[in-house]
Amino acid sequence: MDIFKKTPNIDWLKFKWIALGLTTLIILAGILNITLGKGLKMGVDFGEGTLIRIKFKEPSSVSDIRKRLNEVGLGRSIIQETGKDGREFQIRTVEVKTTRQDQTQELESHQVLANKVIEALQKKEDQEKIARGLLDLNNIDHKTIASLLSQAFPEKSEELAQKIIEFRRQNGLITDWNELKKEPYSLDDQVISFLQQKTFLGSMTVLSRETVGPQVGKDLRKRATQAIIWSLMAMLVYIAFRFKGVEYGAAAIFTLFQDVLIALSIYSFTNREINLPIIAALLTIVGYSINDTIIVFDRIRELKRTLRKEPLEKIMNLSINLNLTRTIFTSGTTFLAVLALYLFGGKVINDFAFIMLIGSVEGVYSTFFMSCPVVLFWNSLFKKKK
Amino acid sequence: MKKNLRWKLILILFVIALSIFLIYPPKDKIKLGLDLKGGTHLVLQVMTDDAINAETDQQIARFEEVFKKNNVTYTEAAKEKPGRFHFKGINADQEGKVRDLIDQYTRDWDYSFSGDTVTFNLKPTAEQFLRDQAVIQTLETIRNRVDQFGVAEPIIQRQGSDRIVVELPGIEDPERVKNLIKVTAVLEFKLVKAGPAPDEETLLQPYGGKVPEDAEVVKGDPKRGHQGFYLVSKVASITGKDLRTVRRGTDEWNNPAVHFTLTPDGARRFEKVTGENVGKQLAIILDGKLQSAPVINSRISDSGIIQGPFTPEEADDLVVILKAGALPAGIKYLEERTVGPTLGADSIRQGLAAGLVAIFAVMAFMLFYYKLSGVNAIVALFLNELIIFAALSYFKATLTLPGIAGIILGIGMAVDANILIFERIKEELALGKNVFSAINNGFSRAFTAIFDSNLTTIISAIFLFQFGTGPIKGYAVTITCSLVANLFTAVFVSRFIFELIVPNNAKRLSI
Repeated sequence: MDIFKKTPNIDWLKFKWIALGLTTLIILAGILNITLGKGLKMGVDFGEGTLIRIKFKEPSSVSDIRKRLNEVGLGRSIIQETGKDGREFQIRTVEVKTTRQDQTQELESHQVLANKVIEALQKKEDQEKIARGLLDLNNIDHKTIASLLSQAFPEKSEELAQKIIEFRRQNGLITDWNELKKEPYSLDDQVISFLQQKTFLGSMTVLSRETVGPQVGKDLRKRATQAIIWSLMAMLVYIAFRFKGVEYGAAAIFTLFQDVLIALSIYSFTNREINLPIIAALLTIVGYSINDTIIVFDRIRELKRTLRKEPLEKIMNLSINLNLTRTIFTSGTTFLAVLALYLFGGKVINDFAFIMLIGSVEGVYSTFFMSCPVVLFWNSLFKKKK
Repeated sequence: MKKNLRWKLILILFVIALSIFLIYPPKDKIKLGLDLKGGTHLVLQVMTDDAINAETDQQIARFEEVFKKNNVTYTEAAKEKPGRFHFKGINADQEGKVRDLIDQYTRDWDYSFSGDTVTFNLKPTAEQFLRDQAVIQTLETIRNRVDQFGVAEPIIQRQGSDRIVVELPGIEDPERVKNLIKVTAVLEFKLVKAGPAPDEETLLQPYGGKVPEDAEVVKGDPKRGHQGFYLVSKVASITGKDLRTVRRGTDEWNNPAVHFTLTPDGARRFEKVTGENVGKQLAIILDGKLQSAPVINSRISDSGIIQGPFTPEEADDLVVILKAGALPAGIKYLEERTVGPTLGADSIRQGLAAGLVAIFAVMAFMLFYYKLSGVNAIVALFLNELIIFAALSYFKATLTLPGIAGIILGIGMAVDANILIFERIKEELALGKNVFSAINNGFSRAFTAIFDSNLTTIISAIFLFQFGTGPIKGYAVTITCSLVANLFTAVFVSRFIFELIVPNNAKRLSI
């Protein structure tokens, strides 16, 4: 089966001005947005605030959470729903303004904020129970449960604690004591009544908490920058090694920067933040997309030898057309895999999948529409004078 | 079967067998990162300045003693900053003697005279050594504490010059363990001279408002029910270093308490102090805070009790820190990431779901477009996945959530090589070549392109590995493994399958 019965005859270079216009437009809009607009938001990895993921026993809403956070003066936090049933949310406290003296304590101040968020979202009755010395079975860890149970069931406390943690692992949080009695957990009444005396089922559980202090944040920024610079350099070395003609090398480098800029520009219009996985995605996009370009350029060189009489434009169009199917399909399968990750991979990895989606489409676009025109532009700029 | 095919088959079967051997049983072989199995990741900084400060104080005290013993007079001994102090007002005719004494007693400090003042500066090499030692000792102490606390498979590693990474699987409520790690845990027993008093002024009134030379002021620990200020002797009778054993027990009213016994040397000193001071109070001080001040009823030799009020957990934790010893320097938390059991399990589930969908989508596409040849690509794809996991367990790499993303991305990239080859074969067939040579040419001509495309992605992965943190390293590892394995599966194995199944004189190829 073939999507094209014979090699198609599309005049790609006809679109070069449109493509150039579109690229410029996207990048310009992106740059304006990044510098003057809302900008690229740095995430927790780069030392900005705390990220808390929580799950409630009963469905809630972003506006309800904001209302409760407003009461403790944290209404500016970024709140997002992450699950499908209205019970899971992600809250990102916004950076605190601190004086220089406070900076050494900044991690602690982030944590104070995080504690405030959690307290604000907990129900009043939960707090009262904690004040009375009860433990929240939906939030304490294995070790604490085991040591509690060892008071009454010293022989099987480890095993029981494991069952309770396993329940939470599967279901998020315990909503009803009876759930623990069912298979395969089957805790007996004695254990349940002991737990009922010593613990309570809190109205929410903290799924994760991440805080990076300013020092480590700065360090991670530095590492991310180094990773970007070094791999772009390596890419340049590779390009220089791989291409004899300056114009092709220049076009490949142009493509490389375009890949990064377009992906970042589009990303800047979403509400997503830049964290380490995004840097990883950007570098992967660059490595992946430069290939298609290289393959087309290889074909151009090959054809230039056999079709000496033909104008360069025609050879370029032919080269792209000859590689059309495989360029679309190689990126297409990657797109499929990343789409699966985007749709089913969960919230934590969603930003990564999103920018990879942009990247895999953009890589094809730059190969078809931008790489060859850049060679032509370069030639008309520098080679005419010969 | 042709002879070279037999060898290829043996090699392929060997790789499969080895991979299965490396992976089995997956529960033990594939290490999960904290983001998947749940736990706490902490980065802390050792305040190595503390160690320099302590060394400076020690040196001042030491030279005060040395000078006194050798009848060197001076008017002032003062610390200028950590690593720098001076003695002022030394007689000009004693300069030579002082130089001799310093040369005799220390090699770690540079000194210089200016007028009647000798200034000591800690040598950079000695300073570096002290800082290094502080980090190493802190790391060991933290390891001891975490071990005593009882965490399964903790990771405690030095990072850079003064940072320590602590990873605690299964600990999702880190407050307690964080406090446990952070306390300096300097335990001292000192005689109480006066107190408690509500504030320092009242306390020092009988002494004319000044702290006597042989005493110091400590605050009571409110957590132990002691509010006011106490005046205690400057010299500790015994310290945490004199403890031989520590265990949790109860006091006479059955409340949680900490029992200890002393080393023979500590016991001798303790016996002397308690014997001479019956009826007085002895302060038990932890990190500068008075925990309790029991009255000495009789001479005590080698054992004692520290009373609370403690909760059982607090008593347990005190046992842990006293057993593990004191930290040589303070620490500060720089980073904290906690993942609960639910989120980790969700991430695994969702990653698995996304992976399966990706595999089925890619499989469906390959079968639909390349028909029977697609089966070939699918076999290669599964083998590729098998090798990734084998490589992960062989290198003892940690599987993280970005690592799973790398594997899923790898599913999409792994068939790229097959697509490049199949398209080339189609081109060759379109040119009228026979099936045999089309396959041959397809594989050999596509190889450069495949190698190229895998290489560029691996280049960026290598730098990610170099500069990334844990989770990102996991991504770099899986994507690299996937692409390297790809060269074997999509090129070698795929070609083997064609050679095995397609007869040399085949007229048609399902592609």
